[in-house]
Amino acid sequence: MSVLWLRTAAALYGCGLLYAMIYLFRKSTRLFHPALIAFGAGAIFHLVSIAELWAETGHLPLNNFYETSSVCAFLIALLFLIAYTRYQISVFSVCIFPLVFFMTMIGATEFPVAKWSPVARNTWLVIHISTVLIGYAALIFAAMASVYYLLQERQLKRKEVTPSANRLPPLGTLDTIISQSMNTGFVFVTIGTITGVVWAFIESGTGWIGNPKIAFFLFTWAVYLAMIFLRVSAGWRGRRIAWLAVTVLGCSLITWATHATLGSFWQR
Amino acid sequence: MRLVVAGVNHRTAPVELREKLAYRADEIPAALIEAQARGAKEAILLSTCNRVELTAAAGDDFSNEMLLEALVASRGGVVLEDLRPHLYRLEDSAAIRHLFRVAASLDSMIVGEPQILGQLKQAYALARDHGSVGTVLEAVLTRAFSVAKRIRSETEIGRNAVSVSYAAVELAREIFGSLHKKRVLIVGAGKMSEGAARHLLNAGAEIFVTNRTPERALEMARLFHGEAMRYEVFPQRLAELDIVITSSAAPEHVLTRETVRRALEARKNQPIFLIDIAVPRNIDPTVETLEHAFLYDIDDLKRLADRNLESRRGIALEAESIVTEEVERLEAKLREREVGPVIVSLQEQLEAIRQDALGKHRTRLGNLTDEQEKALEALTRAIVNKIAHGPISEMRREAAEQGGEAPREAELASVVRRMFRLRER
Repeated sequence: MSVLWLRTAAALYGCGLLYAMIYLFRKSTRLFHPALIAFGAGAIFHLVSIAELWAETGHLPLNNFYETSSVCAFLIALLFLIAYTRYQISVFSVCIFPLVFFMTMIGATEFPVAKWSPVARNTWLVIHISTVLIGYAALIFAAMASVYYLLQERQLKRKEVTPSANRLPPLGTLDTIISQSMNTGFVFVTIGTITGVVWAFIESGTGWIGNPKIAFFLFTWAVYLAMIFLRVSAGWRGRRIAWLAVTVLGCSLITWATHATLGSFWQR
Repeated sequence: MRLVVAGVNHRTAPVELREKLAYRADEIPAALIEAQARGAKEAILLSTCNRVELTAAAGDDFSNEMLLEALVASRGGVVLEDLRPHLYRLEDSAAIRHLFRVAASLDSMIVGEPQILGQLKQAYALARDHGSVGTVLEAVLTRAFSVAKRIRSETEIGRNAVSVSYAAVELAREIFGSLHKKRVLIVGAGKMSEGAARHLLNAGAEIFVTNRTPERALEMARLFHGEAMRYEVFPQRLAELDIVITSSAAPEHVLTRETVRRALEARKNQPIFLIDIAVPRNIDPTVETLEHAFLYDIDDLKRLADRNLESRRGIALEAESIVTEEVERLEAKLREREVGPVIVSLQEQLEAIRQDALGKHRTRLGNLTDEQEKALEALTRAIVNKIAHGPISEMRREAAEQGGEAPREAELASVVRRMFRLRER
């Protein structure tokens, strides 16, 4: 039963993830309260799931990676909720909601499901690959715009004036392009990550977690999440965001390179 | 009489030096007194963000050095020796040419910007109120004003040129892209900041105004459909603002590095554009090193303005030829003025001699008919005119001759004066 509660919790945490994505584009906190309620409900289901597992085994469920991930996610969720009730700071939700969702989701993949039909499996994979590629394209765009931002910023700082023919776009325009392409990229990479994890889970059961390719992919996603969070909450722009964008792009390229042999993995 | 100009401008001296030398309007009379105390018969002082220059008309014994001393005499913090490498000194026709070029905005940081003419007119009015404008400066400056007008109407200089304020707006576009709904604060009053505010308002920006005098801020805010901000609190509200233009007469920095740093933090590093067109400067220059803060002072705007210089060069050339023509015309007029009094004296002297002779000898002729009377009058007049014709036409010819040695007409005038025993007028 505990895995069912855990999956319910993951689904409710998913509402939080959805809110975080909408927030990136709309900059509106109108949906924050419904998302917070869903998140809180998720935490309760999560607690029930952990408690049940504890009762079954007689000790805190920290036997393997899945269980640790789940407990850790629960603790993060708990801390966030406590911090929120005390300080009313909602900006961390942009980072916490997706993170808790993912860690819970990983925890929920402890028990393998029955093999699916090949058509369903391929659909997951196609969605995974295409969304990730769209995400990468948007990321490349963001990194490029960041470099332009740096150049334009340097020109303005040095008070050098270029002839109007090859003038760079204004900083404000570049900033908007960076934000939008980064956010778009994040949404697609996140969808890609979810579908990827689901596919790997269907395909190779509980063994997927040991795959370094997937681990690195998750790492890339985490860095991406950190970048989005720093930009939204601390207003990172210019030099720092450019370096981060290039770092994320580098991670993405490594992930992509490790997946060059995906075909063999898929057929195995 | 000699005409001399000495001063510093945006090309010869950095803003650090210009701000030390700059005069407020109420300090100008003191400098004029200094110049007069050193022997200048006429004097005018022009002090703008880009130039501080003293012009004087004086006798031949007045030296350049005296003018320089007068320029720095009432500036406690300025040592003449520090200033010397940045000074320019011009005399006579070079001085006239310089004044014409200044008035016509050919010597401006942004060639063709229209504000300088108003500033020169203001300096002229100040000197006139002070009583230090005489016939020479009067002639040169009124001519300078009409030369400026002529150049403006005959060339495209005004149309193609951008003012400092417009240069600032162009820069704002480089930073923000669209200026719609951007929040702009004007600190202090002034032509340039008001000009910039107008451009920004047209681009859709929201204007805020602050001033040490709250009434003045309210008045300006009404003008730009904006909001007046209390002067004491504006540094705390900096985070809400995208563009700040300072042109207040405050002698100290009104925005410190720490204030700007905190504001940037509060606005999550969104860029802030600071334009300091005040001299002395209103914003701490080290703000420039803060990331996401873009600080431009008056000198920086020059570089932006230079971008369009290429296209303006042809127009400037056209304007320069007008200046040359006008300088020659005025010089001829001034030279004529040198001989003019002598001519008048000569004519008066000869007329007096004629009247005297007629008075003495008229009685001996007995009764004359009206016709005889008239003939006598005509005869004596003709003799006098014939005698006067030679010297007068020689002096006029010498005065009208261009490019000749300057003192020749003066020399001739003094010879004529001596030969005819003319009284000094």
